[in-house]
Formats: sequence, structure tokens, C-alpha cells
Amino acid sequence: MSVGDYAIETHGLTKAFGRQKAVDDVDLAVPRGTVFGFLGPNGSGKTTTIRMLLGLAAASSGEIRLLDGGMPKHARTVLPRVGALVEGPAIYPFLSGRANLQRFDAADRHTSPATRNARVDAALERVGLSHAATKRAHAYSLGMKQRLGIANALLAPRDLLILDEPTNGLDPQGTREVRHLIKSLSDDGTTIFVSSHLLAEVEQMCSMIAVMSAGRLVAQGTLDELRSGGTARVRVTTPDFADAHRVLSGLGLTPELHGRDDVITAELSVQGLLPESVNAALVRADVRVRGFEASGASLEDRFVALTGEGFDVAG
Amino acid sequence: MPAESAVASPSRAGGGLGLTLLVSEITVLFRRLRTWAMIGALALIPILIAVVVRVSSDGSASGRGPAFLNSITQNGLFVSLTALTVAIPLFLPLTIGVVAGDTIAGEANLGTLRYLLVAPAGRVRLLLVKYAGAALFCFVATLTVVVTGAIIGALLFPVGPVTLLSGDTVGIPGYFVRLLLLALYVTVSLMGLSAIGLFISTLTTIPVGAMAATAALAAVAQILGALPQLEWLHPWLFTNYWLGFADLLREPIVWNSFADNALLQLGYIAVFGTLAYGRFSTKDILS
Amino acid sequence: MNKNWRWLPAGIVPVVIVAAAVSGSAVAEAQPQLPAKTAQELLEFVATGADDAYSGTVEQSSNLGLPDMAGVATPPGGTSSSDPTSAALELLTGEHTAQIYVDGTDRARVQVLDQLAERDVVINENDAWYYDSRSNEATHAVLPDKDATRAQLEAKLQQKAAEYPELQNVPRTPAELAQTFLATIDPSTEVTVDGTSRVAGRSAYQLLLTPEDSATLIGSIAVSVDSETGVPLSVSIEAKGQEEAAFTAGFSAVDFTTPDPAIFQFTPPADATVTEAPTADEARAKLEATPEAMPAEAPEKPDIIGEGWSTIVELPAGSAAGLGLNLGSGEAAGMGEIMEIKPGMDPEDVAGAGALLEQALTEVDGGRALQTSLVSVLVTDDGRILAGAVGVDQLVAASQQ
Repeated sequence: MSVGDYAIETHGLTKAFGRQKAVDDVDLAVPRGTVFGFLGPNGSGKTTTIRMLLGLAAASSGEIRLLDGGMPKHARTVLPRVGALVEGPAIYPFLSGRANLQRFDAADRHTSPATRNARVDAALERVGLSHAATKRAHAYSLGMKQRLGIANALLAPRDLLILDEPTNGLDPQGTREVRHLIKSLSDDGTTIFVSSHLLAEVEQMCSMIAVMSAGRLVAQGTLDELRSGGTARVRVTTPDFADAHRVLSGLGLTPELHGRDDVITAELSVQGLLPESVNAALVRADVRVRGFEASGASLEDRFVALTGEGFDVAG
Repeated sequence: MPAESAVASPSRAGGGLGLTLLVSEITVLFRRLRTWAMIGALALIPILIAVVVRVSSDGSASGRGPAFLNSITQNGLFVSLTALTVAIPLFLPLTIGVVAGDTIAGEANLGTLRYLLVAPAGRVRLLLVKYAGAALFCFVATLTVVVTGAIIGALLFPVGPVTLLSGDTVGIPGYFVRLLLLALYVTVSLMGLSAIGLFISTLTTIPVGAMAATAALAAVAQILGALPQLEWLHPWLFTNYWLGFADLLREPIVWNSFADNALLQLGYIAVFGTLAYGRFSTKDILS
Repeated sequence: MNKNWRWLPAGIVPVVIVAAAVSGSAVAEAQPQLPAKTAQELLEFVATGADDAYSGTVEQSSNLGLPDMAGVATPPGGTSSSDPTSAALELLTGEHTAQIYVDGTDRARVQVLDQLAERDVVINENDAWYYDSRSNEATHAVLPDKDATRAQLEAKLQQKAAEYPELQNVPRTPAELAQTFLATIDPSTEVTVDGTSRVAGRSAYQLLLTPEDSATLIGSIAVSVDSETGVPLSVSIEAKGQEEAAFTAGFSAVDFTTPDPAIFQFTPPADATVTEAPTADEARAKLEATPEAMPAEAPEKPDIIGEGWSTIVELPAGSAAGLGLNLGSGEAAGMGEIMEIKPGMDPEDVAGAGALLEQALTEVDGGRALQTSLVSVLVTDDGRILAGAVGVDQLVAASQQ
């Protein structure tokens, strides 16, 4: 199955609004079965790309393959296998949560009306909205609306989920639940394409990542691949400050001081040197290590370098 | 690419006709408070007419006022006809403007349009379903006026065999058949306006704008239709046969208006339907 | 990625509609090939068609150069004005559609289809009915013999319709109209068969009557005769110096199957005001019984001046007053009287119709005149009325002799 390797594949995807290019020559390749993070600051072209993937907007140029079919030509056969949350949930405020889902389910001509109620209830259950199923949606909180939007994406068994900012408006508990949900769906073999402007979120959920900046795709690969592009750091807390400094220098690193006499940090700038080796060297030299922290926060530095913008690291 | 063959596989359940979507569309339409408010307002027209005539009835037929008004005191069933004559030029187009103008623009405004399309509803299918929903509303709205008129008329006035325009008399069952035909005629009359509303609705994401534009067009067409200087234009106006429903109250029924009206409305449906298709099938859904 | 082709249907559909509309009228205009007939043969053919049974829709339109009354007399969906004068003016100026059912010579029904109203004439073996849905009034006449009653109905219709007996007011069957015109043929008229035409989807011969009288306003009269049945399908009258036909009446659809007999039966609605028209005998008896009750000036016979197409009818002094016309002073105030103002009538209607009548009348030497493209009427200052299918100047000249 060489062709079916990718759930999403684009070539030279471009969307121009007038002379402004919102999406510029994007080549995405999302392997099947992955949880794929689509990262970029607000306004970097993520949502426009997703709209084109789903056939909502026409590409100015370029090609899109979703699952097995070209888009938007094969939308009829491809989209039933794709669940989506695009630019936040949208609801009929005068309908109940359940009626909202029934409405969207009816729009898909492939779903069976016989199983509709069962599937709607299962989706509500899955996002924890069963208790509010009969409540009018205009009374829903932002988080409940978000859950309803995710439930809509889960109405039928999907091969691909495209979730645009799925944790928007959710409290930390809700965010955790969504993360869990994504993991369990991924375990079932569903490919999940998550867009976010939150680095931490993507880092926690995704095995692969693509980074958008100002309409262009600036990086794409596994987390490790991207990390390797930058450098990891170690942070050592120790009363034996001078010894630690000596050991780190001896390993070829450049220790950095932070004005405290018990904390020392260093970039792992030596090729092949792993944080655990650093720790072993410290222990061997009888340095009393009170705390040792290896941080991949370097990923953030990497993205700042790529996009020229900082990320909202906090959830 | 060799994978094209795999594309046709996911046929999970039949029903590509869009019937489920149509049922859903109708359910959503009639679950809205707004829809019922409009139907209630339409029902108020015959009630108001009947009550006013009953209260002020002093037996002097003045010859003024809307058609059939003077017949009400003798036969309550005429309330339906008076109410229709009053509702056709203004109230019905207004409510149809609201429903037809809301079809696409309303969904776009809520953002639900993108989820319907991603489902995927199919753009042409959605357009057809939306139009069918608007058409059904036309029929329900008309029927509301007719039926409420008959009920309130029967409650407040004597009823009996109905005198047709030709002077012949039909019994009550025959009259109800004609009332049903009348409701059909008025529904057909409003189909052109619905198509115009549907097209305008694809142009914007602001439903109120589409509603106002549609209702305004109905008013403009009627004004143009009243100007004798534009007589050459009259046969092309979608409002031209709006009051031609009276032909169904002749004996024998004169079908010319019905046929001419249907043909005219069909023309409007074809023109604005294809315009709506052109617009909606090429539109980027950015809301 | 070019999806502009999706706009293609929106471009094609209007073109198709316009093409269909144009080709539709082109088909209608195509002249059918028919065996040649002389005028004499064609007239005989018409005569044989008198017993036919048929039904259809007749469109009548007049373009007499009068101001359009349609908007004033019957506001859309609104006030019903059963006042005869404004109704007549409305009939004269607007366009009308009538549904016609004919079965032989003694059963006919004409339905003038007004907006939200109808006027009916029903004739069967024994009865004649006139019914107006606006006023809910019916007039009934028993037919002792066909011709007499028809004449009476005619009189009733005329009285109902207007005080201008020269003007055609209620559209009648094309057969009736054509026969009226054919009856007036005399040496002053050139009668020819002018090719063929299509009327209501049927092939027809075109009979053309051209007055050889230079004084008359009538340019020509064309009658289309169905090539299969001899039933006249349309009549149009051309006025001199006017491009559009002054009067046309013709079938837009016609069906030569026998109409349902029930159509010719009429029972007036229970709440209608029914007036019994006296039979010819009753009327005569009444006249003889009460001679002194008759107004003194009325029975005077009108004068006939001239002959043929340019005949002028002169009603003696006092006629204008009898009709409620008081125009000698030239004041518009008198105009109201002609309207037969009834209590409850919309004063705006009265004023509007009066103003239009006022507008239509022009001051001429020795009186006031109404000039249409087919006929002229002169009301002299001394109360005489002159009318004819001639210009006003000829009426003025005749009035001064």
C-alpha cells in the first residue's frame, strides 16, 4: 500500500485572497495512524489550509489528497470518513445538543438513520455531554459547545479527524479529557490532525508536527527530528557548585550561571551527548546532585527561530 | 494514481436522495420560534378581519375595502379569501423573504454551513433541500391563512354553500377543494420569489440583509406592476399573477392563470436557481 | 482549479428562455398555407359556422386614445366599483379577458374575467342572465323567443355598461362581433380576403373590410376566420392615423368540443339582488297602460345624418339633460351626475372618474366633444348629442346645419 501511506497530502497548496497569499506553496504529508500537530501562530494560515483540505474553500493552486481521494473532486466519498472541527464549533442555538448532532448527521447521506440516535448518544457520551443532551445549545458554556463540536466529528467511525484548536475554551480538566480522547482514538488507528497555536499541547499529544508561519510551511517532521534541529538543555541543582561546573566543562559544555550558588545549566551542544551521560559523569565525580532536569524546551527556541514569534507555552 | 479505485468504497448506507436531509431541514425550520411567530402573525390576519367585521357589522355593505369583505357577514367561509387578498401583496412575501433569505446566509452566519458541507451534505443537494424547505413554508404559510380563515369564519358567521365569482354556487366540500387549489396556486406564485431569495442568500453571510432584499424586491415588482407605463414589462414580473388566484373561483375553473403563473415561476426558478448554483458551488465558505 | 463553468447554466438559461419566447411568437406569426377562397365564399363559410359548439378564451384590448381608467376604476385587489359609467370607461380603455362557451345559436355563456371579480352573461333556451359578482346583482329575463330576448339583453347590457351606445363595451363572441360588422357591409365597403394567419394556434383566413369613405375614422376591419369551422376567431379595427389597432378581440385559446351543458345553467346566488327584466310583451303592455308617465322629451326620434361609415346620429335637445349631462356651461361640477353617485361610493372614485371624463372632453366651437380614435361624441351647448365614426369637426359642422 504505497499510495495510502498518507492520510493528508498536499503539493504546492496555495490560497490567495487578492494579492495576499494566505497559504503559500504548502506541501503537507501526514502519515496514516499518526497524531499530527499543525502548529503556528494565529493568522499563519492553519485554518485556511484546513478549509481547503475539507473542500470549503477552493485552492488557488496546488493539489490535495485526503485519504484515497483528491479534493475537492472526491469530496462525496472522502468526507464521510473524515470528522472535522473547523474554527470552533457552530451550533443551532434553538436546538438541543442532541438535535444539533442529529442535524449534522442527517447532512451526511451515507449515515444510517436507523443507527442515528445510538451514534449521537455515543458521541455525546464520549465527550461527556450526556447530561446536557436535551438542553438547548444556546445555554451551553463555551467548553460545552467545544465538546459538542468534537462530538460532531465523532458521529461516525472516521479514518481521519481534523481538529482545529480542539482544546479552545476548555478548562484544564476538559483539556486533559480531550488529550485522552485523542490518544484513545489514535490507538484505534484513526489518523488525527490537530491544529493549535499552543506548543505545549502539540508536544504532549503529537508524534509528528508541521509548523506554519505567515502562510508558509517552515518545518515538518517527528518531534525528535525537530528537536534534533535545536539543542537540549540540562539544569543541575547541587551544593557542589564548583565541582559540577568543572565536570560540565570537562564534557565540553559551556555552563551557564544564574546568580544562584546551587543552580547551573548548560546547552547539550556536544554531538551525541545525552542528558543521562551528563548525570552519570556528575555522579562519578562525586557531585551531589539534588536535582537534575533535562529539558526539551529547546523546541520552543527552535520554533521561535522558525516563526519569529513566541508561543504561548502555558495551557 | 492507482488508489482511485479505493475511493468509491465507503457506501455505508443508501439514501443518496437527500430525503433525510430534507426531513432534517423541515424539522429545524419548524423548531424555530421565529417560524411559528411568522405563522402566528399570518393566522392573525383572518382572525383580525373576522373579528373586526363581526364587531362592526351593521349590515351596510359599503362596497369598500378588500375583495370579498362584504360577503363575510353572509358566509364566514369568505374570511379565507379576504385574508388571502390582504396577505398576498405584503405579509406572505415578507415571511417568504425571511425564510428564503435565511436559507444559506442563516447557516453561514451560524457557522453551521461549514459543518453541513463537511458532513458532506453536497452543495447542490443542500441548495435543493433548502429550496424545498422554503417551498414547503410557502405552502404552510398560505394554508395557515386559508384554514384559519375558514375556522374563524365558521365560528363567527353563518356558513353555507359558497357563491363563486361566476354566480354559481358550490357546496362546502367543493369549496374546500377550491381552497386547497387556491393554497397551491399561491404557493406556486411564491416559488419565484423563493428562488430569488435563495440566490440572494448565497451572496451574503448576513441573513437580515438577504431577507430585507428579498422582501424589498417583492415590493418593487408590485410597484412596477402597478405602473401602466411599464406594461410591456408586466408579463415578466414574478408578481404578475399573484392576484390571479381568483380564476380558481370561477365556474368552470379557468386554468389559464394557473398555467401562465406556473410557467412564469418556473422561469424564475430556472434563472435564479442556476444563479444560486453558480454562486454557491464556487463560493469559498469562510464563515 | 477554474470552476467558472459552474456559472454556465446561469448564463444559458436566460438565453434559452428568451429564445423560447421569441420562437414561440415566431411560430404564431408564421402564415399557414390554405386553399384560396374568395370573399363571398369566406362569408358563406362563416355563416355555416354559426351552429358550432366551442369554448375558449378571448382577449380584448382597446386603444381608443382615451386616458387609462384601469388604475382609477379598479385599484388592484381593492374597491369594487359597480358604477356603470366608470365600469364602461374601464372596459373601453383597459384590456380584458373573457371566457366564452358557445353551443349552437341558443346556448352561450360569456364570462368577463376581472381581477377578483367577474361579469357573466348566460343564455340558454329559456333564460338569459346577467350577473355581476362585484355588486352581487343578477338580472334575469325569460326568453319567449330567442331574438327578442337577445335584443333585450343587449339593451340591458347597454344600459348597464354606458350611455354611449356607439361604443362596444362588453366583449362578445367573435362570431357575434363579426356578424355585426358583416351586417353593415354595403357598397361603401371593399371586402377582400387578405391572406391567412394563425390565431390561437389555428390556421385562419383573414377577411378585410376597408371603408371607401374618406370621412370615417375607421381605417379597416380585419376578421380572422377559422379555416376548419368558419368560426370567426378574431376581430381587429384599425383607426386612421393610428399605428396600433384601436380595438382587437380574439381567441387566445379555443377548443371545438361541445362545452359541458351545466355551464349554460345558472341559478343566482341566494343572497344576490335579482331583477326581473320584463318580457317584450310586458314592456309593451306597461307602456300602453301608462302613457302619461313617460317623460315628454324621451320618445323623440334621433336624427340620422349622412350614410354609410360616416353616419352621424343626432339626439335632440334635452337628451343630455336626460342622461344627467349638464355640460352646456362647461363646468366640471356637472360631471358628477353622470356617475350616478350612490351612497357609500368612494368619493375618490367619483372624483377620479369625473376628472378623467373631464380630461377626455375638449371644448370645441358650440359645445364639448369626446374624441376617440374610432368615434367622436359632441354635446352641444343647447343640449343635443351628436355621435359618429367621424372626426369632431364633422360633428361640429353637422350640428350647425
